[in-house]
Amino acid sequence: MDPLVTVRGLTKIYRVDGQQTPALRDVDLDITPGEFTAIAGPSGSGKSTLLHLIGGLDHPTAGEVWLQGQRIDRLDHNALAQLRLQNFGFVFQAYNLIPVFTVLENAAFVLELRGLPRQQREARARRALADLGIGALAARRPNQLSGGEQQRVAVARALAAEPKLILADEPTANLDGVTGLALIDEMRRLNREQGTTFVIATHDPRLLERVRRTVYLEDGRIAGA
Amino acid sequence: MLVLAWRNIWRQRSRSLGAIMAVGFVVWLGLVYFGLVGAARDGSYVNLTENAGQLQVHTRDYRDARNIRDAVVRDAAALRPRIAATLPDVEVAAALDVPVLLAGADRSRGVLLMGVDQPQALRERFAAAYLAEGRLPAGDDLDGIALGGGLARTLQVQVGDTVYAYAPGTEGTGASAYTVVGVLKFPDPARDASTALLSLPAAQDLAAPGAVSRFELHIGQVRRAPDDAVLMQLRDRLQSALGGAVIVETWREAFPSLSRIEQVMRPVGLVFIGLFFVLAGLLVVNTIYLSVIERTREFGVVIALGARRGRVMRMVVAESLALCGTGAVLGLLLGVLSLARLSQGFTYPGLEKLTAQVGFPSVLYARIEPAEIVTVLGFALATGVLAALMPARSAGRLEPIDAMRFVA
Repeated sequence: MDPLVTVRGLTKIYRVDGQQTPALRDVDLDITPGEFTAIAGPSGSGKSTLLHLIGGLDHPTAGEVWLQGQRIDRLDHNALAQLRLQNFGFVFQAYNLIPVFTVLENAAFVLELRGLPRQQREARARRALADLGIGALAARRPNQLSGGEQQRVAVARALAAEPKLILADEPTANLDGVTGLALIDEMRRLNREQGTTFVIATHDPRLLERVRRTVYLEDGRIAGA
Repeated sequence: MLVLAWRNIWRQRSRSLGAIMAVGFVVWLGLVYFGLVGAARDGSYVNLTENAGQLQVHTRDYRDARNIRDAVVRDAAALRPRIAATLPDVEVAAALDVPVLLAGADRSRGVLLMGVDQPQALRERFAAAYLAEGRLPAGDDLDGIALGGGLARTLQVQVGDTVYAYAPGTEGTGASAYTVVGVLKFPDPARDASTALLSLPAAQDLAAPGAVSRFELHIGQVRRAPDDAVLMQLRDRLQSALGGAVIVETWREAFPSLSRIEQVMRPVGLVFIGLFFVLAGLLVVNTIYLSVIERTREFGVVIALGARRGRVMRMVVAESLALCGTGAVLGLLLGVLSLARLSQGFTYPGLEKLTAQVGFPSVLYARIEPAEIVTVLGFALATGVLAALMPARSAGRLEPIDAMRFVA
């Protein structure tokens, strides 16, 4: 099967106060459609940086990122925004929901950015919320939800847009054990039943036990897979 | 996007309320200002045209005349029926201005004596407004004269006394004695000290037999300035009917300085209102800019999810417009209420004398043109857009990863 994402020689060096700090060094990686992959490693190993570069949130210092045969690492700001909008779903560690939106509006927001009519986007958002078992919370605001519920809304937001790839950055880091496990199981189920591709940056051992593939990073290099 | 903007502006309620109130106040101020300009415009128009008419017919080149011979319409008796035939619904008055030396028993004063022939209705309105004592000279009275109170005091004469007039005329210097039959009282002290009224035949007898300085055409008694286009149409019609020996002028053309003052009031107001909008706009800039800084992480997420620069900038502009729009609606409501009250008539308490001196009636009526309302609202809209430009640019230039790491 052709890879969904291809990464070759990916390098990212941050320059802070004249100091060069390498975050990723010469990383090669392929992600095939339908994968449920974890990128693991200690803090500062480059997990989030790799996820950001794959998702077009940042530009690499060197190397290439390809999405289904299209090279994306040299696209400009607006082209990358369009690429992310059409292809990627993001789940962040801090949930990052829009506080003035209801749960339903948050889940439908990416579809609104795509310009879908209200009825269509709300129907898809409701379906995604129902899939994650939080359909009853649709009218609430994020500050009325628990951490676990907010993270499910974030997953629903990513899922409602039916992206090719969901990139999740430490999705269970702010959740207690039970809530974290439940969220992992939901994501696995979605991967299994809907074929959604997940790449998850994590150092949560409970999550690592449940993925099919783990890519280990250490000091910005792939240390094992 | 508007829903998002509306909700976002209420996240910092007191700050947003401050900006809304500022915009609302300036919109209200702008509407009331234009309403008062309208009142002043109508007031000065009424004051002027009640006495001088909306159209005037003069001899051509009267402005350049160096003596009374060149300043008058000689064949007045022939011209008057042609005016009445061309504009039958218009009241026509005739006036002859004669520079005279007017003398009482011991004192004299150089004044512009005015011989008038007014339709009865105009004459009654004039008498009701200004006659303080006695009566006006009758239409065919060759002996009676009415003086402004200030002039009567200067000449030390009263009703029943005799005054003497010496005047250069079309046929040489004329001299005549008149009996004071009435004393007038004008709010404007300069007018009060210089007005001397005769009947038109008396003035013609003194200085210019059969001549008038002008015909004054009164197009109904109206409280507000009629459409200039209508007046110009009437002017053109009359001009072509009367031929080139005379000139027909609208009141704007006859009194260009007053017209210029009126025309200046609007642009001056626009400048002042513009400055007020700049001040309100600075408050809006501050509100929006702080909001963008406080929500940098949120903008980072929106960009990460796929919003393009333009979309992010439009979100910020929408918030600024929501602020200014809300202020504009509030200001508009208050402005309309204020103008509704002022359009029923108002005075400047304690300033009645002053307003009369500058040529306003004692009661003014606020009036605003729809274009002026649109102008004020346009200012509010422009403030919303301009105030958002810098914050919107900042938000649009955010890089998603940097923005999501931002700590305010």
